[in-house]
Amino acid sequence: MTYVVTENCIKCKFTDCVEVCPVDCFYEGENMLVIHPDECIDCGVCVPECPAEAIFSDSEPQATEQWLEINRKYSELWPNITGKIPPMPGAEEENGRPGKLAELSPEPASEKVG
Amino acid sequence: MERAPAGQIRWTADPRSPGFPVGITEATIHALVHSFYGRVQQDPTLGPIFAARVDDWPEHLEKMCAFWSSVVLMSGRYKGRPMPVHARITELNGAHFEHWLALFRATAAEVCELPAAAVFIDRAERIAQSLQMGIALHRDAVESMRQVETEGGQ
Repeated sequence: MTYVVTENCIKCKFTDCVEVCPVDCFYEGENMLVIHPDECIDCGVCVPECPAEAIFSDSEPQATEQWLEINRKYSELWPNITGKIPPMPGAEEENGRPGKLAELSPEPASEKVG
Repeated sequence: MERAPAGQIRWTADPRSPGFPVGITEATIHALVHSFYGRVQQDPTLGPIFAARVDDWPEHLEKMCAFWSSVVLMSGRYKGRPMPVHARITELNGAHFEHWLALFRATAAEVCELPAAAVFIDRAERIAQSLQMGIALHRDAVESMRQVETEGGQ
């Protein structure tokens, strides 16, 4: 049982979800966030927080096998994110644009320069 | 309703939170948490498990209030890792979770109005299931490591 981040996060990456997550189970890629399925406690707090409405319970049809796999795979590879950061440039225009899956970057978020 | 700037704790309930439409406030949470854990401490099954691990009850109760505030009010007050905490309690099994939930349901029904109690109970049941799955995975992983080490020693 877990929640799953899906396509509309790509190139928006608002990160409002991170702020409300009680267990810090979000992991940050270059242009998307994912949820670690074994760390998520299924509380559902992130869902209404996401401006892109990109988060779904794994019992919902939008949480396809593909998205479950993407969240599992990249949560093992990407760094943990624990606080909100600014959305990506152009996030408002990217919100709701279809066909973003092909643009998902496998790269982890870049190191923040202090 | 104004949204708090990112990084700041919200002190007014978020209207999108599950607790808002049923009138849950920090005061409700405080009453429920304190009542529930008072019963836990007296419970013959759960009491000893907590007693062995909680030294500072006021601190623990504050943490539990912050947790429920995060879950039902979206306040962002709690940040922690309950999975490993539960996984470390080696004697924990499904019966303990069922017992915890039964006690929680009874307390919520007494302390809260019915719609509010239903929100707490729904989240508690989901989180309990999630924790049990996480614990099972954790124990499998630990067992696999142990097997690898045993075999590797030959």
